[in-house]
Amino acid sequence: MNPIKRIGGYVLLTALLVVMVFPLVWMFVTSFTGTRGGVTLANYVYIFSTNKFGLYLFNSTLVAVIVTVANVLFCFTCGYALARRMVPGGNFWFYTILIVLMVPVHIVIIPVYLLMNKIGLYDSYGALILPWLVNPIGIFMVRQYVSTLPVSLEEAGRIDGAGELRILFRIVMPLCRPVLAILAIQVFMTNWNSFLYPFILTSSEQYRTLPVALALLLGYQSIDWPQLMAGSVVAVVPVLAVFLAFQRQIISGITAGALKQ
Amino acid sequence: MGFFAGVLAGLLCLSCGGKQPQQTKLVWWQFWTDTAIKPTVQEIVRDFETQHPGVAVELVDLTWADGHDKISIAFSSGTGPDVIELGSDWVPEYSSTGHLLDLTASADSVKPNFFMWKPGQYEGKTYAFPWILGTRVLFVNPSLLTRAGYPAEFVPGNWDELLEASKKINDLDGNAFGFGCNAAERHRLYKKFLPFLWANGGDILSPDGKTCLLGSVQAIAALEYYLKLCHTGLTDTQRRLEDAFLEGKIGFIISGDWLLKRLAAEKPDFPFVTAVIPGPNGPGASFAGGEYLAVNAKSAHSQLALELIRHLCLPENQLRFCLQNRSANPSSRKAAADSALLAQPHFDTFIKQLASSKTPPVHPQWVYIEDKLEKGIEAALYEVKTPQQAFTDAAREIQELLDQ
Amino acid sequence: MKRPIAFSGWLLLLPWIAIFLVFWFFPLIYSFILSLTNYRLLAADTQWVGWANYARLLADPDFLISLANTAIFVVGTVPVTTVISLGLALLVNGRFPGRAIFRAAYFLPSITAMVVIALIFSNLYARDGYLYLLARLIGLNPPAEGFLLSEKTALLSIMAMDVWTAAGYYMLVFLGGLQTIPDELYDAARIAGASRWQQFWHVTLPMLRPVMLFVIVINSIKSFQVFVEIFVMTKGGPLNATLTGVYFVYETGLRRFDFGYASAAAYVIFLIIALISIVQFKFLKTGWTA
Repeated sequence: MNPIKRIGGYVLLTALLVVMVFPLVWMFVTSFTGTRGGVTLANYVYIFSTNKFGLYLFNSTLVAVIVTVANVLFCFTCGYALARRMVPGGNFWFYTILIVLMVPVHIVIIPVYLLMNKIGLYDSYGALILPWLVNPIGIFMVRQYVSTLPVSLEEAGRIDGAGELRILFRIVMPLCRPVLAILAIQVFMTNWNSFLYPFILTSSEQYRTLPVALALLLGYQSIDWPQLMAGSVVAVVPVLAVFLAFQRQIISGITAGALKQ
Repeated sequence: MGFFAGVLAGLLCLSCGGKQPQQTKLVWWQFWTDTAIKPTVQEIVRDFETQHPGVAVELVDLTWADGHDKISIAFSSGTGPDVIELGSDWVPEYSSTGHLLDLTASADSVKPNFFMWKPGQYEGKTYAFPWILGTRVLFVNPSLLTRAGYPAEFVPGNWDELLEASKKINDLDGNAFGFGCNAAERHRLYKKFLPFLWANGGDILSPDGKTCLLGSVQAIAALEYYLKLCHTGLTDTQRRLEDAFLEGKIGFIISGDWLLKRLAAEKPDFPFVTAVIPGPNGPGASFAGGEYLAVNAKSAHSQLALELIRHLCLPENQLRFCLQNRSANPSSRKAAADSALLAQPHFDTFIKQLASSKTPPVHPQWVYIEDKLEKGIEAALYEVKTPQQAFTDAAREIQELLDQ
Repeated sequence: MKRPIAFSGWLLLLPWIAIFLVFWFFPLIYSFILSLTNYRLLAADTQWVGWANYARLLADPDFLISLANTAIFVVGTVPVTTVISLGLALLVNGRFPGRAIFRAAYFLPSITAMVVIALIFSNLYARDGYLYLLARLIGLNPPAEGFLLSEKTALLSIMAMDVWTAAGYYMLVFLGGLQTIPDELYDAARIAGASRWQQFWHVTLPMLRPVMLFVIVINSIKSFQVFVEIFVMTKGGPLNATLTGVYFVYETGLRRFDFGYASAAAYVIFLIIALISIVQFKFLKTGWTA
């Protein structure tokens, strides 16, 4: 490629980069801006002391971690059971997964809201965690992955007299590590950012997660933009850290995921 | 067997004996969570407990974001607290569906002592006591008025003066705006318009609540004036308008006592004046809302609950609250006339304005009526319809709701 | 030997069976039942009303506007996002120094919480925000009250933001597709004398069809459900200009607690989404393999 074309290419790429990251840079910069200009940490001090961002951060972390761990475990067991056809009518259950992928959330949210009220779980950690203990995309991913693994290893284990649980968790699970890693990252990020369910199924500050807190704070008299942006940074940084740490897995996860469709 | 039963009964008795002397627990759902005011609320409640030995009041904090949901859910499942603090516009929803205790008898005896009973009433009965109210007044930037050529102490006294002053300020330069006009902002826009409607002799519904009056000449003229005023200023959200006022860019905005608090905290030296919102030919009307106190119809301690409400509404307790919270509008007439309160800067304007303030009609369909009204104003504001057309349509739609 | 396996199979699948029944199957049925009643939160008397809620929907201008806005949103964003994300994918597909940085940067908006993005853009779009000032600078004539407070620009602004947010994610999906196209196909095309444009048109695009189907279907389903942006930025206003289907369901169901009516609206939107997904599948599959 000739140098002019090459420079032109980089100019275009960089221009696009500015467009894509400018709003996020603006968020960071604003969060450190004082009321009378200058660089300050006051906005962060405010949201953690006067506002309850410590609590929201704790809630978001707690819920995302529990949901992630549960999904790794349950998506694994469910995906395995489907891949190895351990349940009669396995196809039926496989189809339920595909159907749920197509069902928009808004149609189930009102009954789920009423149900949570009925069983006394409205506005609790249970409401934030329970519906998401296992997710269809995760099961689908594990099922596809396990299907490509040879059965011979499991049979060898059986011949050696290993119990089913031992085979499952000592032989198959380690083999699934790549897919479970992608699954864990995706579940964590999705759950961390989720808004609709937490917003509708909780109401008090005690169970509020970061996205809900931020959405509710806009328009309040007692908070200004730099503070709001400081709160946004708190909500973005953990996901950003996960992304930077697992960049390769995330990118290959998305590209590979698409190919299976 | 008998022996075991005896031991068991003994144990049970022991465990229940631990709770003596028997205490009555009264639960109050309330919205004052801010650390600047909550201790005062707790002190007032502690006084009540001292006067009523054996009674413990439990405060449960709600916020404006979650309160409406929580109260609705609690009522629908037949639970809920004994005493509830309600926003004035929420009362009809619960009183018309039978979830609030009828307090008419006790309210009637103290009626002259308080302002604004109307939002707490439904079909001739009283369900909630007015507590801490809030009206909106006109905030004026005198420096902009001086720059526009007005004498230092000038404040517009009628519609024409307001419009002219607003226009003159707006024409100063690109960074000065006359009137701060609310853009399409749900549940805020209509509150800004109603003062003009009422001052012009218009109303939303007829007194019996059966006819919509938005199609009247007065209502349409009020809307036309409001739009003219908007064209001599800045259209934005309430929050951004207040920001602009603090930056000295806006001549006039309509706002509540929260802006006093904000000005004191952020710009204590900022020069501003407050005035009663002008009407067509002199002082006009304003919009008022506030906090109301009600008793759950299912409360097991309704008498005590009512006692607590009476205690909270006592003039001296309201005064304590208002001075601490910098609230300008107690519901108690005696508290509102207190010299300590009147000595607070600008409070006199709010107290004077409250006398000419009104509240939106009490109607079980209010949330829908509000929606139609607001969309009517929006349609005219955004010039999709003429004021005449916008309000004729809104009146027809609201009438359909009323006739259902 | 068979029986214990079947038993443990049920046990392994139990989490999904439970979640499916409680949080998907039951709500889906219950929601339909609700849509045939006048169930409201505070009112005591709930009655069967048959199809009355559905009839009321068809005569409710707000609902019809919400459907129209949703249609505009989907039709306006999905093709644009598809084209832009494919373009980005082609740009970063080659081997050049720094490509990892560009890929990561373009992808960043899609891992950011929608609430945060909506907050940021609420400011950037406002009367004194940077995007507004930029629009003025390049000679556009933006509405005096800011992009989100004008009925002419509010929906369009949110759509533009949505494209910005989603482009990076679908870029990666396309990138995955591009990398599966065997080099031999391009070699053969080059030998046959095809220009780069012809290569794109006759090799790249046909090979990307399954990926494109995925992108369009998934993005359409997501776009039909647009909610957070509306909730944070405009609450459906001004003048219903940004009132979308799901926001309508939220407002009637969870603000006004008119559960029966809201459920009927939810079902109508669900059926539309299902219908369009099926059509997309049929059209894109047969249209392309032919």
